[in-house]
Amino acid sequence: MNATLRSFRDFFCSLQLTVWLLILSMILVFVATLDQVNLGIWAVQAKYFRSFAVLWQIPDSNVSIPVFPGGYFIGGLLLINLVAAHIYRFSLTWKKSGIQLAHAGLILLLLGELFTGLMSKESFLRLDTGETKHYSESFSENELVLIDHSDPKTDLVVAIPEGAVADKKSIQHKDLPFRVDVKEYYPNSNLQRVGPFAGPRPVATQGFGTGLVILPEKMTYKPNERNIPSAYIEIVAPEGSQGVWLASQMLQQPQTFQYAGKTWEIAFRQVRTYKPFALTLLKFSHDKYPGTEIPKNFSSRVRVKSDDGKEDREVLIFMNNPLRHGGYTFYQAGFDNNDTTTVLQVVRNPSWLLPYIACVMMGFGLCIQFGITLAGFIRKRSAANAAAARA
Amino acid sequence: MSFRRFSTQTLVAAALLLAGCRDKEVVSYRAPRDSAPPPERPKMAGAKPELPDGHPPIGGAAANAPAGGAMGGMAAAGLPTDAVSKNNALVWTAPANWQERAPGSIRKGSYTVPGEGGAVGDLSITAFPGDTGGLHANVNRWRGQVGLAPLSDTDVEKSITSFEANGLKIILVEMVGPSGNPPTRLLGAIVPYERETWFFKLTGPDTLVASQREAFRTFLSTVKAR
Repeated sequence: MNATLRSFRDFFCSLQLTVWLLILSMILVFVATLDQVNLGIWAVQAKYFRSFAVLWQIPDSNVSIPVFPGGYFIGGLLLINLVAAHIYRFSLTWKKSGIQLAHAGLILLLLGELFTGLMSKESFLRLDTGETKHYSESFSENELVLIDHSDPKTDLVVAIPEGAVADKKSIQHKDLPFRVDVKEYYPNSNLQRVGPFAGPRPVATQGFGTGLVILPEKMTYKPNERNIPSAYIEIVAPEGSQGVWLASQMLQQPQTFQYAGKTWEIAFRQVRTYKPFALTLLKFSHDKYPGTEIPKNFSSRVRVKSDDGKEDREVLIFMNNPLRHGGYTFYQAGFDNNDTTTVLQVVRNPSWLLPYIACVMMGFGLCIQFGITLAGFIRKRSAANAAAARA
Repeated sequence: MSFRRFSTQTLVAAALLLAGCRDKEVVSYRAPRDSAPPPERPKMAGAKPELPDGHPPIGGAAANAPAGGAMGGMAAAGLPTDAVSKNNALVWTAPANWQERAPGSIRKGSYTVPGEGGAVGDLSITAFPGDTGGLHANVNRWRGQVGLAPLSDTDVEKSITSFEANGLKIILVEMVGPSGNPPTRLLGAIVPYERETWFFKLTGPDTLVASQREAFRTFLSTVKAR
């Protein structure tokens, strides 16, 4: 092995690196915890832990510079460090089996967090009594959608992620017979009715937006608030512009237009995840302790019906008793509208078992190691006692 | 070490770029049609999705769509459709004999005000961002709704009275239409609050609305910030 490779190996195997990484991760956790006040838990997770570098935006500019290693960077190095140490420094002997198992558990824990960060998806499902939905909605991700309603049974949805809208470019797609030009985009906004005399004039030439203007708002990071994006969208067909629409999450009613004999809908909405089954809310129950407003129990009776007709059953979802179906877990999360609407939290995390397995491995490993040490100690002491008795 | 750092940075940049690309990819898919929503039920004034006491907040947002609106349907003379405020920042207490109705998606509150002989008045509560064109324009908009000609700014100022309640400035206006049998009377209140304008409007047959003048004012004095 040449000197360069050896220095690399020594660096990645070193305990010094482990200690530095642990110190860095402590600082990262500490700063991120404080920053939750400003950003809220989700933005903090994205900025500090699910990133390679913590970026700091230079005030009054769009330039961001990395100022600290992020969770993926520290965790990734820690993982390499652990694996390398395992390979090069730990001897595979029974005496060290406990340590080996505990470290293997730690590796699995790090991998579990990585997989969770990469693969887990959280969304919510809001159902009014009697309502059926095939989809859940994202908490924070939005999309501009153009929907072709010409088929009586299914809709053709062309979904443009908010990130693409934010670029304010022309968007073309094989399923769209026209071009979508983003004229203006506001990540958080409010709408204002156009006054009859004074004030700003509308930008939109079609749809509800002809009487409205978008008011830009500051981005919000509070955990119980949401940014409401809006945009002015021009539909440009080969024969010319079809008009400018105001698309916003403030608008709940569909805006439709005709093009080439088909009805299209344009909307800005939370990203939807469609599932191969539908949930219907049959009844929401909210029991209180008699004579008080203290909730005793609340639950949602839902009907789960799969599209292939194989499954059609009723389920009761209540606190600590979620519905697990089709790789998704539906938790009872909230309610609304005088107890006629339920809000379910929908989590999909294929790696949800890994932390449990990792903790069991680490616990076992430490017990084994302690047991081995204890056994050795007892043996030594009994040998010493025997020697003392013989003396 | 410097080479390693360079290659790591290259990898990071590539990963970020790839992630960025994935976030911006336009996709198309076929989806089942949305089922028709069930009929709207009455909401508590300013109801918000609730979590039980002690429940940690879920998700990165209030798990509800904004109180945005079904646009249109407001029979406002010559006015376009409405934008609806996001907040339910004010609360109020209505007289016992006013019957609360489902507010729909535009209104924040909606009441039927019963009178003699089966006559009914309609009380609507709405809120919009900004000043929605200002006081003069809004008073004249209401005048148009009952069939009156617009007033000059000075005359609008003369036609209003205002009082304070719970730290809010409440601007009152009253008008009666020139025609109709019976003519329509309108009692209106405009309440600016935190970059929004709230409108409380009672319309109905002349005598009925006139008889509710005190009740309306008392009702307005119960309006307060949440």
